[in-house]
Amino acid sequence: MADLMLPESRRCNNFFLYDGSKVRGESDQTREGICYFYPEETPLDEQELLCGQLAGAGRCVSELSSSPVRILNLHRHKFAIRMEDEFFWALGCSVEVPTVSVCELLDQLINLFCFYNGSVRQSYQLNSQETLAARWAQYLSHLQSGSSELQHIFSCLKTIDSTNVDPLLLLKAALILQACQRCPLVLAGCILFRGRVVSTQMSPQLTMKVMVHESTTYTKPQRPNGPSSSFGGAVSSTTVFLTPSELRYLQSAPVNKDFSSHSTPHKNTPLKKTRLSRTLSDTPSSTESEPSDPGNSQSPQKLLSPHLSVSSMFSQDPSQSTPNPPPPQPLEPPLSNGKHSPEECPSPEALEESYYHSFHSNGDGGSQIDNGGDTSAGTEESHDHQVSEEVRGRGSGIVPGHKVERSDPPHSDAFEHPGETPLIPMTLYLHRVKGLVLALLVEPHFLSDTASMEEVYHSSLASLNGLEAHLRSVSPGAPGALGPYIFAHFDCIQSTLTSNLSGRPGGAPEQPFVRATSLLHSHFCNTETLQEAIIRSAGAAVYGTRSVAQETYFQQHGGSLRNSGIPNHQDSAFSLPGKARHRLLKHGVNLL
Amino acid sequence: MTTKTSLLKVILLGDGGVGKSSIMNRYVTNKFDAHLFHTIGVEFLNKELEVDGNQVTLQIWDTAGQERFRSLRTPFYRGSDCCLLTFSVDDNQSFINLGNWKKEFIYYADVKEPEKFPFVVLGNKVDVTERQVSTEEAQQWCQENGNFPYYETSAKDATNVAVAFDEAVRRVLALEERTDHLIPTDTVKLHRKPRSATSCCS
Repeated sequence: MADLMLPESRRCNNFFLYDGSKVRGESDQTREGICYFYPEETPLDEQELLCGQLAGAGRCVSELSSSPVRILNLHRHKFAIRMEDEFFWALGCSVEVPTVSVCELLDQLINLFCFYNGSVRQSYQLNSQETLAARWAQYLSHLQSGSSELQHIFSCLKTIDSTNVDPLLLLKAALILQACQRCPLVLAGCILFRGRVVSTQMSPQLTMKVMVHESTTYTKPQRPNGPSSSFGGAVSSTTVFLTPSELRYLQSAPVNKDFSSHSTPHKNTPLKKTRLSRTLSDTPSSTESEPSDPGNSQSPQKLLSPHLSVSSMFSQDPSQSTPNPPPPQPLEPPLSNGKHSPEECPSPEALEESYYHSFHSNGDGGSQIDNGGDTSAGTEESHDHQVSEEVRGRGSGIVPGHKVERSDPPHSDAFEHPGETPLIPMTLYLHRVKGLVLALLVEPHFLSDTASMEEVYHSSLASLNGLEAHLRSVSPGAPGALGPYIFAHFDCIQSTLTSNLSGRPGGAPEQPFVRATSLLHSHFCNTETLQEAIIRSAGAAVYGTRSVAQETYFQQHGGSLRNSGIPNHQDSAFSLPGKARHRLLKHGVNLL
Repeated sequence: MTTKTSLLKVILLGDGGVGKSSIMNRYVTNKFDAHLFHTIGVEFLNKELEVDGNQVTLQIWDTAGQERFRSLRTPFYRGSDCCLLTFSVDDNQSFINLGNWKKEFIYYADVKEPEKFPFVVLGNKVDVTERQVSTEEAQQWCQENGNFPYYETSAKDATNVAVAFDEAVRRVLALEERTDHLIPTDTVKLHRKPRSATSCCS
């Protein structure tokens, strides 16, 4: 499936990492501080010029305003900036690219690096600059490759085209993942097919990170199955580093709860070191990416059921005057479904755990509500449990029924500071069956636990074989002629994009649509209260609408726009919202 | 003569819940899990065997028995070398349905000579005490429908599982030998496509 790929879609013109700690004295040269510069063939003088000027400007502005710089807008370029202790990152794009997308790209890049290498400072102490340069280049090329411009705008996950796939196969994938979690050392997993997500238990951000390793192992030639290893060459693993909030999120999954007490020795130690709650006011004021952007935030309940999380997470949002229906019912059933352990019905303790994961002891007995304070939109029964447990179980310092209004997301990659927070080493386990990959985040000692490894391997092998055979036999839908309309639907919660443009080679007709979408997305990100907009040129009009959970863009072809220059009720642009509602229903997009 | 490694595709068919997945797992990994979920679509495992000095890879395809999974499983019937029709001795309906499974297989696998195709019938769950299907009934059905070999198995306590698969392999190899005699392989094909100038453009 060829994605719409435009020649100028190279998102990043420049990227560098500059280590200020190497350039202290007058005699120190700027080049000493340049850890990595992209494009690598840039003359060193130019590298120094850009690094020196940007780092200087960034420092200056942030000191004057006493808030970190996130973006520097120039006439033709914009630079996303990140500063952490002595490190300074900058990623430059054309001004056309939405600011929010540039910032997301930089955050993704840094987070990717930290996921596979640990903290930046330590990595540069342990590895040569050349080794790490190769990794930056790898991550950068991964993030820029193979995606359509639309996907770049939303920084979304690449998923399989579910319109051609029997939903039962998605269920099958979800069940394979759940079966793996019967092993207590398995935290969570995802299943990928030819570089696209089939099913995932992880947050979109974490899934994106895992996909990089998958793509690098895919390009390597397959080792022949050695007779010595019972797993052949199909299984590989690598060390990865999770942020404390990522780990907390994974361990909050109810399916892990029964085991976590004995199987996760790291569990409680790192939690205390992080800030327990971040509020909106904590975030840098100069930033353009919203801390409350649902695309970045994750509700821990999401693992339970994305359906539930949408309603519960935002049920208190005052801006949501007309409650939007949750996105199409996810095909993955709640995790507890596939679990056939004796505790089929969660005990009150298990419920408490699953809804209370976000309660952290402050160390001195005080507790804070981090997130998930309100699950009322979910199951009433569990909510009752919550309240009673609150009083009974964790009484100290908690007002029963107290609710935190729109508490901050427990995890937001954009505001994670991998340079500062301790990262927890975990293991990424991959089992490949041709184009299909099972990727599991496991406790590091999983690899030395032969019994667990064999259990996971053998319990999933037949199903993976079958799923691979099924997915391989799914014929990609014919790209078809450009229909009478174009749409793009972005699910902010799952970070997925649905569009009738995907799978089509890039062409002129959709360019206005892509540009308009980019502009509207920017506006939606910058203006939290904006819900609907129509953007138009002489030849085209694009309608955009958003809720906390989704963004939808729609353009109708054909029929000249009757635009007289003054408001005119016959102006066909005004019929766009109605047409969008009507047309998109059959794509499973409900705008009513 | 070189020792050839051949791949034999064996497919397990039968009603949902009769124990097809358990039979496969018992045979390949020698494990039994009482809490398996319904199979969705198809699954398969490979097992290496040596039969009369020949390396054989037995590819065992396990299928979903439930009616709602029919469209997912039927495309994978094609190319099967042997079909294991499975029922559960404690479920009379699963026994009655054997005929339908046979029909479905012959139709979707597009079997050229159905009367010669090697079927093996398995009556699973013999460890269960409350039987609904007697050995005699099952044997009679097998005789009337093409003289299929019949095995009473238990995936739970491993009774007869390996024996049944061995029989399946033997049947397939015997059939191949017969056809090998009919079509000698060490001949020169005169009708091989000539190398033409157009091949470079393909």
